[in-house]
Amino acid sequence: MLARTITHALVGLDARRVDVEAHLQNAVPAFAIVGLADRACQEAKERVRSGITSAALDWPVRRITVNLAPAELRKEGSGFDLPIALAILAASRQVPPERLARHAAVGELGLDGRLRPVGGVLAAAEGARRGGLEKLLCSAECAAEAELAGIEAVPVRHLAEAVAYLRGERDPPPVDAPSNGDRPEVVCPDLADVRGQERARRALELAAAGSHNLLLAGPPGIGKTMLARRLPGILPRLPPDEALEVTRIHSVAGMLAPGRPLVTIPPFRAPHHTASVAAIVGGGPGPKPGEASLAHHGVLFLDELAEFARNALEALRQPLEDGAISIARVGGRIVFPARFQLVATMNLCPCGARGDPAAECSCSAARLAAYRDKLSRALLDRFDLLVTVPRPRARDLERAAGETSDAVRGRVEAAHARARAGPLHRSKEASELLSRAVERLPLSGRGRARVARVARTAALLAGADEVGAEHVAEALSFRSPTELGLR
Amino acid sequence: MNDLALAAFAAETGGHVVDEPKELRFARFRRTFDGESFRASLEARNLRFVGRSEPGYPRLLRELHDPPPGLFLRGSADVELLSEPAVAIVGARMCSSYGGQVARMLGRELAAAGLVIVSGLARGVDGEAHRGALEGGGATVAVLGCGIERDYPAAHAQLARGICASGLVVSEYAPGVEPAPWRFPARNRIIAGLCPAAIIVEARERSGALITADFALEAGREVFAVPGEITSTLSTGTNALLRLGATPLTSAADVLELFGLEPTGSERLDLGTDAAAVLDALAREPAAADELGRATGLDAAALATALAELELAGAVAEADGLFRGVRRPE
Repeated sequence: MLARTITHALVGLDARRVDVEAHLQNAVPAFAIVGLADRACQEAKERVRSGITSAALDWPVRRITVNLAPAELRKEGSGFDLPIALAILAASRQVPPERLARHAAVGELGLDGRLRPVGGVLAAAEGARRGGLEKLLCSAECAAEAELAGIEAVPVRHLAEAVAYLRGERDPPPVDAPSNGDRPEVVCPDLADVRGQERARRALELAAAGSHNLLLAGPPGIGKTMLARRLPGILPRLPPDEALEVTRIHSVAGMLAPGRPLVTIPPFRAPHHTASVAAIVGGGPGPKPGEASLAHHGVLFLDELAEFARNALEALRQPLEDGAISIARVGGRIVFPARFQLVATMNLCPCGARGDPAAECSCSAARLAAYRDKLSRALLDRFDLLVTVPRPRARDLERAAGETSDAVRGRVEAAHARARAGPLHRSKEASELLSRAVERLPLSGRGRARVARVARTAALLAGADEVGAEHVAEALSFRSPTELGLR
Repeated sequence: MNDLALAAFAAETGGHVVDEPKELRFARFRRTFDGESFRASLEARNLRFVGRSEPGYPRLLRELHDPPPGLFLRGSADVELLSEPAVAIVGARMCSSYGGQVARMLGRELAAAGLVIVSGLARGVDGEAHRGALEGGGATVAVLGCGIERDYPAAHAQLARGICASGLVVSEYAPGVEPAPWRFPARNRIIAGLCPAAIIVEARERSGALITADFALEAGREVFAVPGEITSTLSTGTNALLRLGATPLTSAADVLELFGLEPTGSERLDLGTDAAAVLDALAREPAAADELGRATGLDAAALATALAELELAGAVAEADGLFRGVRRPE
């Protein structure tokens, strides 16, 4: 007896249709899974056997062969448990096989038959919709996520519920609305906590309004990290299409917060400086998205930039240029989107005392040079805004709290809206100032373009009709004159 | 030709040679030495040599009691550049941002007024003095403590190219001579020897810059020292010089007076009101941007605009987040 269920395997962020065929033969009882299944997938045997028994259903005492087709596609993970169990139950006619045909299924089984959530449900649901299927059987926790793809999710908590539904005995309770509903928003730390630091705050606002990459340099303990962590709070909320893109990536990585299927706040990723190249750009045998992709449409924050492995930093140059990472494998090439805003901090020297009037730097010239040599010119050129933040005086810390994130976000959103409205021209005085600066300061062609970009953002924030000389001047001041002493 | 043989012999033996050695080894070397082909190989590498007995050899250098047998030259300027009125600017390699900015300002203003700036291509004060001279559109001379073909330190290779474009890089050592600690004091005697005056910007006790000052005093040259904070180790050397009678340097005009030159009238800055207020706030001491904002009442955007205007006018420089006025207060 033969039966078939439909599920999906992930290739990067793409779901490919997989047919799960179960065949029961009258022979010595045995259970085999074929079709390039990985280890987690092979272990499905034990979970499926226990799950079916725990659901008070019959485990067919026959020779069971499960085939995952197409056989040349690598299958990973535990999401195949539910489709395998349903295929076996259909082959033994415990559920009607013809009902299964219009459903896709995904989910991991517990030994007690309970259904567990898995990653990548959104991608699987989108694959199902593209394949013309109407419904997706998945765990109740994942149902809201699946409905984002515009497919009807059948939320099941237990294998027995799935069987009852397929037999037409009773429908499972409906899922919550797919929107995040009335749940409170994830709290971002607020800019009001930062006292003083007006210049750094201004740089942060410019970075948010123009999606500029930002490098904050200064001695330790002055709030560089604190400032950077407040960037997502002043970024505009993600528009629906971008929110869906981000959700897909986070879903594949298994990182969606429970009960909040749609990611609406720009993600903020802060990998530690010991992170490997694969951890940052993604990788693995069946490639998984790395931190750079998880920060898609959000912020990739590298604290202590100069402490990162040089090859990990150089690997970021491709996504910074193209907004995507392509990972080549023998079996093909996978492209992960990675259009992020890079924010980094660094000390001015390895001992950290430089720029701090209260301490004396003990670094030798050679050590200082080695520290700064870790950052290639090519990478530093990607930062539109360079701010050196000195240690604030004690009386600054006693000042009143600064503006709140909401107030700043209002201006940033207005700037984004104006940017969409149309191009902004540069006034004659502004162009003259820019030419004078290129002559007077050591400013490369790329450096000139950076200044022009930041000047445009300053004009957008100010709501000006054109880019004026004052905007170019402000942009020039955020390009450290000696580029952090790197010549 | 004998001068060239001496210089080549010094490179061959790795020693330091001023007068003709009496040893047999030199006599043997002298017999086999082919001056013509040596000069040809120099020319092939765009290098030149001016010997002690040639007319182009700088007169002031000849006054030393141990003038080098000759100087190797690299760069586009004529050898006569070495005989023009010159001033040495030297100081600490690990200088403060203040020291670096002062060296640059002096290099710029003195070069613009027509003096040749002589220094040692080292990191810190030396490098900034060269950069200032290039910014001021003047000529500058770098004296090396190693073979003439080598850029030492390597980090200043680009600066050396800039110097060669309008000035000279010189050394008493033939190509191939490695830098060694004992060669730098010998190099300093040339820096001091080329100039009627030497300026020490920042120096610790027992610093190389003080050796240059000693050579200058020994040769009867004028020594200027830039006064520094008495609590900073970077000014112990310069303040000690002042105590011994060096001339305190308060502006480029002090030096120009000695040469009978007029300062190139630092053109009045034409500043906006915001920029003028910021410059005013910086007159007393360097400050961070946020402090300037509070002192002037400007918001972050207006302040950044004013700072960029001042920076372009060459009135303010930033280092490690602190802004500093780099013109003499009027």
